[in-house]
Amino acid sequence: MFNDLKVSFFLACKSIQRGNKGTSILTVFIISLIFVNLIFFPSIVDGVEETLNRQSIEHVCGNVVIEPKDDQRYIDNADSIEKKINKLPGVVGTSSRYMSGATFFYNNKSKSGSVHSIDPSDEEVVTKFHSGLIAGEYLGKENTNEILLGIDITGKEGEVTGDSDLGGVQVGDKIDVTFSNGVIRNYRVKGIFDISSININRYAFITEKEMESVLGVENQASEILVKLSQRGTEEEYKTNFIELGISEDIETWREKTAGTIGSLVDSFSLLTIISTVISLIMAVVVIFIIIYINTVNKKRQIGILKAIGIEQNVIINSYVIQVLFYCFSGIAVGLLLFGIIASYLSVNPIRFPLGYVEPVVEQVLILQNIISLVVFSLIAGFIPAWRTANENILKAIWG
Amino acid sequence: MITITNLTRTYVMGTVHVHALKGISLKINKGEFISIMGASGSGKSTLLHQLGLLDMPTQGEILIDGKDVSKLSEKERSLFRLTQLGYVFQEYAIISELTALENVYLPMLMMGRKKQDCINAGIDILNKVGLGDRLDHFQHELSGGQQQRVAIARALVNKPKILFADEPCANLDSESSRQVLELFKKLNKELEQTIVMVTHENWHMEYTDRVIHLKDGLI
Repeated sequence: MFNDLKVSFFLACKSIQRGNKGTSILTVFIISLIFVNLIFFPSIVDGVEETLNRQSIEHVCGNVVIEPKDDQRYIDNADSIEKKINKLPGVVGTSSRYMSGATFFYNNKSKSGSVHSIDPSDEEVVTKFHSGLIAGEYLGKENTNEILLGIDITGKEGEVTGDSDLGGVQVGDKIDVTFSNGVIRNYRVKGIFDISSININRYAFITEKEMESVLGVENQASEILVKLSQRGTEEEYKTNFIELGISEDIETWREKTAGTIGSLVDSFSLLTIISTVISLIMAVVVIFIIIYINTVNKKRQIGILKAIGIEQNVIINSYVIQVLFYCFSGIAVGLLLFGIIASYLSVNPIRFPLGYVEPVVEQVLILQNIISLVVFSLIAGFIPAWRTANENILKAIWG
Repeated sequence: MITITNLTRTYVMGTVHVHALKGISLKINKGEFISIMGASGSGKSTLLHQLGLLDMPTQGEILIDGKDVSKLSEKERSLFRLTQLGYVFQEYAIISELTALENVYLPMLMMGRKKQDCINAGIDILNKVGLGDRLDHFQHELSGGQQQRVAIARALVNKPKILFADEPCANLDSESSRQVLELFKKLNKELEQTIVMVTHENWHMEYTDRVIHLKDGLI
């Protein structure tokens, strides 16, 4: 067995060493491109998922979000809950919000959206949406007649967008807001933000104090966002919050966004599977053609080898070893190429509508693709080698 | 050494049955140098292929040293060819990606011998066939006669019981042919090597101990 492998290895090495160098280089290059294709697309999908996850934490819900129970409209004693939570080590901060549906009016144009209230200083600790201001200023704690608007509400001046926005509201302009409870207020636009994140640009922000006056409530909240110092510890803190006696609905960012991000990632996953299957088929076809041509060209030599007593499995294994050589060389070059691409994209991320995305490479993904490429290549190389080596000796020698 | 009883080989080509060997019985003794002669299509190469285990007979029995080789499995036949038989083809059947030396020691390597022993044996045998200065040459760097001598060296490296040669001089000029035949004669005389050679040249007969004439698949 070991000796058979030794002879197979000997034949394979001589074939690679003394075979056509151009064909070998081309084969390795094609396999390297296939390998890059195998890991590039899934790494971008993972990058998109990571961007969405990060944005969910940074802009939408913090690490953990507390919401009223199903039968309640608001969380009661919001201040007390926040105080309890803030005492826990590892909690960076909390931000309570009220939310209300609203319609914005400006220059005979209207736009429906959502108004969120914030305590500006608390919000700065928990989320990063303030960093997305593209015009004007952030809210002050006492501001009651000012509002921050997302770019999807304001629209851009001079840009024809039909009825999808207010047609170019500027900082300093005054707009009317009709809240879902019928209250109408007039606000001066203090700032406009543009955050590459799902839905955020359709939000408007006012201070907590102003929202309480609109809704006629006090010390309540539609949601409390909790920022943790370490991502990945959410489940542990969720348990801690329950132990603190917080009986509201508590969800981690992953649970909160599972629907939105999950369906998006599922759609991408389907594309990833299709892309992977196509890449593997390409690998199989390339390897099959190369080994098929190789064995057909060397049919006579295979016949001679069999005639002098070299066993069929030794001949087949010599081709399998050649396939492994091409495959692992292709993978090595592919990893190098991917490393260059990933390094470039980490400095110059791809701009997606939902934010900047850079490839996220998981070792498991690389390992999975190496294994599948090797397995499929072995099958693709084995079949033509087996077919030719299985042929009658005299037929192989004389055709 | 070799006993053939009622050996037949029929090729089926569509609806046509070609009877290449029609029931041959023959004995070849150890240390004999036999030539098989006959017109083209007489079945001489077919007979050699059966004896060399390169093909399966349709019917009949082939005993080599008392062993019925016609009943061996493919794997056993391969091992038998490697350890007991040497084969020289009409065309220069050497592996183009291997040097002359590698071509020669490959069967020995397959036997599981140490590589250095294989190399030493290869050099030794290539010296004997007069190619000691062509060890690292590839097929395209050797003349037809030299390639055939590499093939002979390879056939002999495992010290086979029987050496089969299928028109080994067919593509050689008369001088190279003479060298090959002289080599066979020397091996036969000095080492008592059993040789079965197919040829169609009458002057080759003078080198052999016995001639078997084949006509239409019969002796």
